Order: sequence, then C-alpha cells, then structure tokens
Amino acid sequence: MDVQEAVAEGTASVENGEVKRDGRKQFSMGAGDILEGKLIYDGSLHADGRVEGEVRVSGNIDVASGANVKALLEGANVTLKGTVEGQVTAHDKLTLGKNARLSGDIVVRRLQIDDGATLNGHVRMGDVEHQASGQ
Amino acid sequence: MTLSTKRPGSRPPTPIPAGNGSNGQRNSVVLGPRDRLVGQLYIEGNLRVSGTVDGELEATGDIEIAGGGKVSGAVTAYERLVVGSQASLIGGNVRVARLTVEDGATFTGKVTMGKPAIEPPKPPEPERQPLPAAVVVAEPVKPIEQKVAPVQRKVAPIRQKVAPVQQKGKRR
Repeated sequence: MDVQEAVAEGTASVENGEVKRDGRKQFSMGAGDILEGKLIYDGSLHADGRVEGEVRVSGNIDVASGANVKALLEGANVTLKGTVEGQVTAHDKLTLGKNARLSGDIVVRRLQIDDGATLNGHVRMGDVEHQASGQ
Repeated sequence: MTLSTKRPGSRPPTPIPAGNGSNGQRNSVVLGPRDRLVGQLYIEGNLRVSGTVDGELEATGDIEIAGGGKVSGAVTAYERLVVGSQASLIGGNVRVARLTVEDGATFTGKVTMGKPAIEPPKPPEPERQPLPAAVVVAEPVKPIEQKVAPVQRKVAPIRQKVAPVQQKGKRR
C-alpha cells in the first residue's frame, strides 16, 4: 500500500531525461500515444492511449480512464481506470476503478473492485509467483 | 442436515416480491455470524451473509457478504454483489450485474458481469426439455406406419390374379 500511495502522491523529477517519481523511473504515456509489442521496464508505467502486447514492470501500472489496452499486464500494484483486455498479474494489489472494464484472468495478492467496474474473467488470489519476465 | 430449496426455474417468480417488511421494501434475508448454510438458497430479494455458506446462492436483488462471512460456491445476484473487507468468496462462478470487492477481501472464482449475462426468465427452460425428448421417441413410430401401407398394396395384385383363374373355369 505504501508503494501505491507513493505513485499517487509522489513528487516527479527529471534526471538524465528520465521522469522519476520518488527515485523510481516512470514510463508515462499520453492519450495519443501508442505502444505495440513487449515492454519490460524497471520502474512504473502510466498507460494511456493504446497499448497492445505485453507489459511487465517492476513498479506499478496505472491505466488511465481513456486508455485502450489489449495486453498482458504485470506489475506490483495495478490500477485500472480504462478498458483492458488481457491477463493481469499484480504482485501486490489490483484496483478496478468505477469506470474500469477488464476482460481477462487475474492473479493478485489483494483485490479491490469499485462499484461500477466491469469484470469478466477468472480471479485467483494468493501469493503471486514471479513469472519469467525475460522470455 | 442439508438445506435445499428448489431452483427458481421450478416455479414461476412471484410477481410482487414477498415483502416481510412493513414499509413495503423487498424481502431481505440475513444469515448471522453464527449461522451456517449447506446447500442451495434462492431468495427473491436481498441477502446478507455474515456467517458460513457452503453451496449456491442466488438472489433477485443484492447479495452482501459482510463481516467475517465465508461463502464457498456459486453466487448469482441479479443486481449487486458486495464482498466486504473481511469476507471471503471462494471457488464458485460469480454472475452479477454489479460487483464491489473491498480491499482485504478474499475473492477467487470466475466472474461474469453485465446485464445480458443474467436473464431471470431463462431458468424455466430446462423444465421443458423433457417434452422434446418425448417427441423424439414418437418419431420412430412413423416409419413403421409407412411400412404397413406397402404391404396392403401387395395384397391387391394377388386378388387380381385370382380373378382370371375363375374366369378360365367358367369357360370350361
């Protein structure tokens, strides 16, 4: 929970061209951005626009309300506010905001679903094994 | 002891929910922390569970698993399902229109959401299934009737052959 709050309230800084929040790298997409393929990233991701493929990050994933994601997502804390199609793995917590729409299976340690969110998929809870991210 | 109620399909839904509240609100059933249910339960109205349920739950209104409530089995709520922060819902298929899972809850299973996924009038259909089966049984009878008809036709030519024999006898 501490990490998640740090993303929401942390201060941003720019070092060597990289946006950092509380010392962690942040990959930040805008509403018009498109990511296709596989991203393995040591930091956090703010996903907006369109994402297709596979995203595995060591930090948190935050999917904006207008985002359209068709991808496998894996991160520490995953917060969804937009539309996501694909498997989601959260090593700590997955949060579905009130406008979130998720179609896909979930593997999480903790889960919070706000009223208004839509979920279609299988939910498995417990300790999440680290999947081979290098493949 | 197993407590089991009939599935909703076995009887038509009551047009007006049987209200037990004096204020005319919909029926509401509560399973307290010391209560335990093993089997199936169908409620026309709302259901609140803070006890233990091992079986299937179905409600036309909301279902709330509150406090330390533990449910193992399928859950269908035509409206809303709430799983409280200390509650658990494990293993079953979950079909709901709206879903709230509070942080801290234990939640495992397959979730199907959206209004189209829940159609209360559908359950009566399985009861009608025996009728089509009876029709299937009747079908083999028709070919038997058709076989009988050709036999009658074969008889007729025999009579025609007999007639000429009599005519020959008369001539002699």
